[in-house]
Amino acid sequence: MSPAAPRTGSGFGRLLVTVYGVLAFAAIGRSSYELATKFSEAPVAYSLSTLSAVVYVLATVALAKGGPHWRVVAWVTVGFEAVGVLAVGAASVASPDVFGETTVWSGFGQGYGYVPLVLPFVGLWWLWRTRPRGAAAAAPEPAVPADPDPEVR
Amino acid sequence: MVLPLLIVVLLACAALAGWALWFVVQDRAVILKQLFGAAVVEGLVVVQAIVAGVLMAQGHPVDGPLFWGYVATALVVLPVAAIWAFAERTKWSSVVLAVAALTVGFLDWRLWQIWGAA
Repeated sequence: MSPAAPRTGSGFGRLLVTVYGVLAFAAIGRSSYELATKFSEAPVAYSLSTLSAVVYVLATVALAKGGPHWRVVAWVTVGFEAVGVLAVGAASVASPDVFGETTVWSGFGQGYGYVPLVLPFVGLWWLWRTRPRGAAAAAPEPAVPADPDPEVR
Repeated sequence: MVLPLLIVVLLACAALAGWALWFVVQDRAVILKQLFGAAVVEGLVVVQAIVAGVLMAQGHPVDGPLFWGYVATALVVLPVAAIWAFAERTKWSSVVLAVAALTVGFLDWRLWQIWGAA
């Protein structure tokens, strides 16, 4: 555990950002291909692909940058992915053609080796682990935790 | 695409990943020589893309946008990952380089599948 300001993009975080970046590229590639060649075939699925691509890019940048504001962006985008992959995954299993076509998150990210399923939870764990501890960082657990962004959890 | 070149690229990716993983085991960060290695892999992918472009111009049928999308991704991954890895001076930089090399190898394999699919 690094002392003062744990960085979300250093150490293990460097790997996390890399995998996020690869997934972001994969999602951008997929969605631009779908938008350019066959958007009208399955607008819902392809809109979802585009949305997930944007979220992956934002999450990658936010995790790489770190700072207080980017940390909030990271919590929101990574959390969104966790919810997204579970919701879309469950919907796609319950009713295989609900979106008309497969998306990054269909079958809980099956088409991408389940990386989209695992990654957000690793990301949330890492954000929690590298959270700023305030002045009393050395103390076991302060009575009132100095959490700079209590609205995101 | 031609099979011998595919094999060369895959072996180069595997070699780079292996070299990086060896550094992970030794708890070492990426060194400049490994970035030259990454540049060699990158160059091989460029050669492969040129060969593919020539064969396509000669009439090999392939899903163009899909193929070139993968080529573009494969070409972007290593330079970006190399810069990102080199800025970190711990073993995690070596992990990053290994992941990038394996990713390029995987993308190249997908390119081969796309090449044969049409």
